[in-house]
Amino acid sequence: MYGSGVVKGLALTLKKFFSKKITEQYPEERPFIDHRWRGSLQLDKDACICCNMCVNACPNGVITLESGKDENNKRFLTRYEVNFERCLVCGLCVEACPKQCLKFTREYELATYFRDDVKLGLYHNPKLSAPSSTYAQKTEQKKEG
Amino acid sequence: MSVLDNLFVKIAALVRTTLTGLGLGDIWVNLAMVILYLAGILGVMITAALVLVLVERKIAGFIQLRPGPNRVGPWGSLQTVADTIKLLTKEDIIPACADRKVFMLAPVLVLVPTILAFAVIPFGKGMIATDVNIGIFYLIAVSSLATIPFLMAGWSSNNKYSLLGGMRAVAQMVSYEVPMVFSLLGVVMIVGSLQMSAIVEAQSKVWFVLLQPVAFLIYVIAATAECNRAPFDIPEGESELVAGVFTEYTGMKWALFFLAEYANLVLVSAIATTMFLGGWHGPVLPGWFWFFIKTSIMIFFFMWMRWTFPRVRVDHLMHFGWKFLVPLSLANIFITGIGVYLYKTIGW
Repeated sequence: MYGSGVVKGLALTLKKFFSKKITEQYPEERPFIDHRWRGSLQLDKDACICCNMCVNACPNGVITLESGKDENNKRFLTRYEVNFERCLVCGLCVEACPKQCLKFTREYELATYFRDDVKLGLYHNPKLSAPSSTYAQKTEQKKEG
Repeated sequence: MSVLDNLFVKIAALVRTTLTGLGLGDIWVNLAMVILYLAGILGVMITAALVLVLVERKIAGFIQLRPGPNRVGPWGSLQTVADTIKLLTKEDIIPACADRKVFMLAPVLVLVPTILAFAVIPFGKGMIATDVNIGIFYLIAVSSLATIPFLMAGWSSNNKYSLLGGMRAVAQMVSYEVPMVFSLLGVVMIVGSLQMSAIVEAQSKVWFVLLQPVAFLIYVIAATAECNRAPFDIPEGESELVAGVFTEYTGMKWALFFLAEYANLVLVSAIATTMFLGGWHGPVLPGWFWFFIKTSIMIFFFMWMRWTFPRVRVDHLMHFGWKFLVPLSLANIFITGIGVYLYKTIGW
C-alpha cells in the first residue's frame, strides 16, 4: 500500500524509543577488558635479568634498557623506558621475555597532558614496575568494572 | 475546576481592573494589556524553545538507543542553559563581503512572523490575544512572510551555500504553503468561519481530525515542510549545503534562527491542535492544560518524524508537493464541499 513504509518506519523508531539504551556511560561504567588486552606495559623489575631480548625483539626500537652489575657480577636494572609514542603494541617484547617479567596490563586510559608522559618509565614509575604477582591481583579486581 | 480553567483569564481581568483603578485612560490600559499579552506569548515561545531543544536531543537519543544529553544537571536538564551561554559568548562574525544590514536584520525578522502568528492562537478558553474574525486567514498571511528572512539571510551572506539554501527555502515554503492552506480550508468550510475561537467551539462534540483525516495528514506533511524540518530540511541540508542559510551565522544570530525554528514548531503544532484536535476541549483538566498536552503530542510527532525519515531530494520534494499534495488537497476540498452541501440539504 502507498505509504506503508512510512508507518513501518515510524513504528520501528517508536519501538527503539522505548527500548533499552545501549550506550556505555564511560567514566561511570567501564567496559569489560579481556585478559589478552594489550594496554600499557608493566615490568617486574626484580625478576628482570637485563638480557636485552625485549630491546632486540622490538621492531621499532622503542625500548631503552640500561643496567649495571652488582658485586656478584649479576646484572640489575638502572633504567627501563618504553617510548609508547611509536610502540606498535605488537607484543614481541612480551613474547621474547624469558622470565615473563614484562607484561601487558589492561590499562587503556593512556592519554596524557604532556608529551613526555607518553614514555612509560617502567623502572622509575612505581605504578608500572610493581611485581607482576601483585599487579595480577589488581587486574582481577578490575575485571568486574 | 472552573477557577483553574479561567486562571489566566482571571489574572488578565485582574490586571485590567487594577490598571483602570489606577486612573489610566482606556488607550493606556489597552496598550498595557497588549504588552502583557506580548510578554506572555514571548515567554511561552522562548521557554518552549529552550525546553524543546533538550527534548529534541533526548528524543533523538532515545530513538538512536542513546540516553541523550545527561551530563549537565540532573537528567541533562541544564544542557540548553550551557548551550545558550556558549552561544552568547561566541564571537559574532560577519563575512567580509556580506550585505551587513540585511545580514543583521534577517535573524531578527525571522522571528517576527512567528510572534505575530501567535497572536491568534487560542491557548485556552478565552486565552487568545486578539480574536480577529479572519483568524486563520491572518495566520496564513503572516506565516507566509517567513520566507523573506530566509532569502535575506541566504542572499546577504554572500556564500553560495547560503544562497542555495535560501532559494530552496523559498521554493519549498511557497510550494508547501498551497497544500497547507487548502488543507485548512476544509475545516473552514465545515465551520463556516475563519475565527479561531469559532473553529475551536465547533469542535466541542467531534474533533475535525475525524471529519478531515486527509486534510490533517496533508497539514502535518506541509507543516513539516513549512518548518524546514526533516525529512524536508533541504534548505539546511548539512550533507549538501554545509548548513544552508545558517552557514555564515554565528553566536546569537544563529541562536535566533534556532529559536525561530522551535517557535515555528510550537506554532504549527498549536495550529494543528486548534484546527484538528479540538483545541482546548477536553474532560476534567483545565482547557489550557489540554491545549498544552495536545500541542506536546503534536510536537513529539514532528520530532519523531524528524528522527525517522531521511531527507527528501529537492526534485522529489517539489514533485510530491505539486503533483501529489496539491491535487489531493483540492480533491479533499471538493469532497468536503459535497459533504457540507449534502449535510445542509438532507440535514443528517
